Amino acid sequence: MELNKQYPIANSMIVFREEFDDWAVLFDPDANETFGLNPVSAFIWKKMDGKHTQADILKLLKEECDDVPDDAPVHIKGFLADMEKRGLVGFEQA
Amino acid sequence: MASDMKVKKTPESLDLNITNRCNLRCSYCSHFTSAGDTDTDLSTEEWLMFFRELKDCAVKEVCLAGGEPLIREDLRELINGIRDNRMRFSILSNGTLITEELIDFIKSTGRCNSFQVSIDGPGPESHDIFRGKGTFERALAGLRVLIKHKIPATVRVTIHKFNYKELDKVAELLLEDVGLPSFSTNTAGHVGLCRENKDAIQLNAEEYSLTITKLFELNKKYDGRIQAQAGPLASGAHWKEMQRAFDANEAGFSSCGYLRSCGGVFSKLAVRSDGIMIPCIQIPHVELGRINKDSLKEVWLNHPELKRLRDRRDTSLKDFEFCKDCKFIPYCRGGCPALAYTLTGNENNPSPDACYRTFLNAGGKLPEI
Repeated sequence: MELNKQYPIANSMIVFREEFDDWAVLFDPDANETFGLNPVSAFIWKKMDGKHTQADILKLLKEECDDVPDDAPVHIKGFLADMEKRGLVGFEQA
Repeated sequence: MASDMKVKKTPESLDLNITNRCNLRCSYCSHFTSAGDTDTDLSTEEWLMFFRELKDCAVKEVCLAGGEPLIREDLRELINGIRDNRMRFSILSNGTLITEELIDFIKSTGRCNSFQVSIDGPGPESHDIFRGKGTFERALAGLRVLIKHKIPATVRVTIHKFNYKELDKVAELLLEDVGLPSFSTNTAGHVGLCRENKDAIQLNAEEYSLTITKLFELNKKYDGRIQAQAGPLASGAHWKEMQRAFDANEAGFSSCGYLRSCGGVFSKLAVRSDGIMIPCIQIPHVELGRINKDSLKEVWLNHPELKRLRDRRDTSLKDFEFCKDCKFIPYCRGGCPALAYTLTGNENNPSPDACYRTFLNAGGKLPEI
């Protein structure tokens, strides 16, 4: 998976609820399932609009947050893979 | 002690009285003669417009009530609007207008969380006496349609003077014959039409005590399949725990000693059939704004009346004359704000309805079980 050629896009049927202190939940109304998102995951979700590559999202994250760890790309990739597996995210090719 | 409850950015769910109309006039209906009895129904388009705002606010669920929600001719359009705006729904109904076709449709949406029907007795006598002739058979037939179509059906049994001795048979009907996984109970509170008919409907302390005992026995027999958020079963369980803790000289319970029975205003909002936003279906006199005119988010975050109701959590029971010298204060949360209003004129008072000391003073007794 090339970080610069894939544009993650959030499943439009999923409800994104911002809760307290930048934490959020994703709600799938068909499956009646809820997933919790920590502040970083919530930040990434909001950038999954089909216009940002994973590399773009990483760049924005570094602008927004201090002390982004070196292995952040691995975590972003893993998070997106998990979201894709759950049917919450798709990818558009460049 | 300051409350640590945080307000979510938008409500998680809303209770919507989608109609003021009903085909019945149950003697203890909480709606009619209340401030929610507005004689006005919004148009389909007004509700659909509001559902779009709910989508923008990431609301997860709405509960459709009334009046009788099934009386709306455009119910399918409204449910389609709920589905199209990424929400799930529940329905509170008297059950008498259920049809196979409607339930087929509801099933097809895949979004129904629960469908509650009111059944108050094991047969027509104790159900129809307050709900109208023929309503028991129709409600039961409706319930069976829900079960046939595997809709998550629930039943609410309102306990009154004419059915409290029949709870064995009610449990047998609902849990054994009909095969529900569970059902819930309450009593008719001092709201709506019940206020005019209370002497014929509401249990006295002796009857209330017998009801608590019977519900405890039945829950033992049926492995806890009878539930309650208020009324004899819920109060009885909480009062027993209060008494046990007091006898054991235990420190107070967490969150007790303040007006903290209800956290609804931290996660939910409601709308009357005329489109007026209110804190709760049972607090219809507190008007917060009108849908499609006032911003839901703005009302939710900043309306002073909601702030007043949220702040009740910081009000100590020691501040009330009603609670003066009560030894149970450290174990008490003060009861429902809606009943506090109808009984005392202020939501931010303790409710006499759920008061253990009042129950004991009236001769009430808790079971040994």
